[in-house]
Amino acid sequence: MARRGAVALALAFAALLGIAAGARAETLQRLTVTQLSLAADTATPHIEVPFHLIVTAHVRERIARLENVDLPILAEVEILGDQSATVRDASGTTYRETITVVAHHSGTIAIAPVTLDAIDARTGKPMRYSSAPLTLQVAGPGFASQAGSIAVGIARTLVALFALLLSLGALGAVVMLLARRAPARPLPLPPPPPEPPAPPPPPRSRADDLRDALATLRAEPGRGAALRVRSFVRRMVGASDAETLDDVLRTIHDDEPMRALLRALERASFTHDADLDAAVRDALAQLERMTA
Amino acid sequence: MSVRPQTLIDAMGRTIVGQSGTVEALVLGLLANGHVLLEGPPGLAKTLACRALAAALGGEFKRIQFTPDLLPSDIVGTRIFDQHERAFSTVRGPIFANVVLADEINRAPAKVQSALLEAMQERQVTIGPQTHRLPDPFLVMATMNPLDSEGTYALPIAQMDRFLLKVDVGYPTREEELEILERFAVHETQPATAVATLDDVLAWREETHAVHVEPKLKHYIVELVAVTRERETTYIDHGASPRATLAIAHLARGKALLAGRDYVVPDDVRAVAPLALRHRIGFNFRVATEGIGTAALIERLIAAVPTP
Repeated sequence: MARRGAVALALAFAALLGIAAGARAETLQRLTVTQLSLAADTATPHIEVPFHLIVTAHVRERIARLENVDLPILAEVEILGDQSATVRDASGTTYRETITVVAHHSGTIAIAPVTLDAIDARTGKPMRYSSAPLTLQVAGPGFASQAGSIAVGIARTLVALFALLLSLGALGAVVMLLARRAPARPLPLPPPPPEPPAPPPPPRSRADDLRDALATLRAEPGRGAALRVRSFVRRMVGASDAETLDDVLRTIHDDEPMRALLRALERASFTHDADLDAAVRDALAQLERMTA
Repeated sequence: MSVRPQTLIDAMGRTIVGQSGTVEALVLGLLANGHVLLEGPPGLAKTLACRALAAALGGEFKRIQFTPDLLPSDIVGTRIFDQHERAFSTVRGPIFANVVLADEINRAPAKVQSALLEAMQERQVTIGPQTHRLPDPFLVMATMNPLDSEGTYALPIAQMDRFLLKVDVGYPTREEELEILERFAVHETQPATAVATLDDVLAWREETHAVHVEPKLKHYIVELVAVTRERETTYIDHGASPRATLAIAHLARGKALLAGRDYVVPDDVRAVAPLALRHRIGFNFRVATEGIGTAALIERLIAAVPTP
């Protein structure tokens, strides 16, 4: 699809954030990663019209499943479904995940890159592979809802075009008569009217981000979502990959609600299974308190 | 259980001024059932800390001063002939105690060090034809003085590997030294009183063992050790052994228990990693000639691995 080409920059997987052991230590899979991309089946989705986000990864090894593919938080769209498939062939293994989503507001949607942590089979060093981020422009109501009015518009346009052709014929005859009496002079073309600039998307506030995090954790109240929300909130407060919770807490010592949220997310991410439900409930409560 | 491990730390803090890192490391060694190596100049309360821990536990404490003429039998014990009974009897050495302080372990020759380290590993000693179990809990705390290297027998890395953790004991701050002056200038050092029992220690160990470590954190631990073999190769001849991986996991569990948690978080792992790594990495001569501290190198290695 043409729009998929528009996000072809995602095909260029940006290898590594940290070289050698700088990679996040989450996997032991030894892989030769040849592709990691995040794409959409449309570059201009419409409000309330479902579309697909497609994650594709290809590795040279033939493996049963690809581990540690980290999807971004899809905070600005609603997830309707998620399917993944792993196909092995002579060239290796292709992993494809299709996420069906729908946008509820217009404007620009920025989707963070997909990451894959693996040991590079060529160098033996841990790497973090990353797709390109994806930016989509959500347009107003979808084509289907406007189809009737567009058909009427087309008919009207055809009639107007016919009348215009008749007028132009008459005008041409007059011009030819005048041309025989006076030397030809080029007619200046009127400049095209400037297109109105697209309104900038409304700036997202911290509360917006936290509401998205809350929606994510509510939709999937488990460790996976807790880890994603934890990463998301850590990025919100400017934490780097090298920083632990203690480091982060030192930088936000005057923001007690955020400190409590970070502690709750740390617990939900690392506690044992018997405590997981309570830990996630605690994290949800902190998020609700901050977004109330 | 009413008594918590933190109680031990508090009790030792009443005897020792400052040195909170050392005190915590000793308790971590106790929780993780491993032996502790302390390195630092004389006069930094290394011996006092060990005594205080033994006193706070109410366990039996023995001190062995390592010297060049020490013999293995001076540590493990020997068999002597009883003239009256006309038979051999066993005399147990000072290793039969709950807390054993091996003071200046690098002053004794290799065969004596080996006798101690074997006992540490096997938790039993053989005297003559009989094998004797050592008491449980059994914790060896060995000290080394980095200043006087003349007449010492450096511990090879293979031997040091048997210590679960190594503490670099540093000088106190000015404020702490002032408090030392106030507290000990006139009165004798007050030994800690027993605040826990040996049974408490065994129960804490069970709890420590049950502390949960998420798979992501296990991978983090593995990477922390692997990076010692792959990075800073200009300064490192050989990285840490898999024993370091186990040690970090054990210590992180202990650290979590001290914090009142039954699960490990990345902060626990990062906090204990230097304790488990510093004596297991083979630094080469460039570290000394270029004036790069081993502590700074270890910090760089740890910082190179992103936290989960």
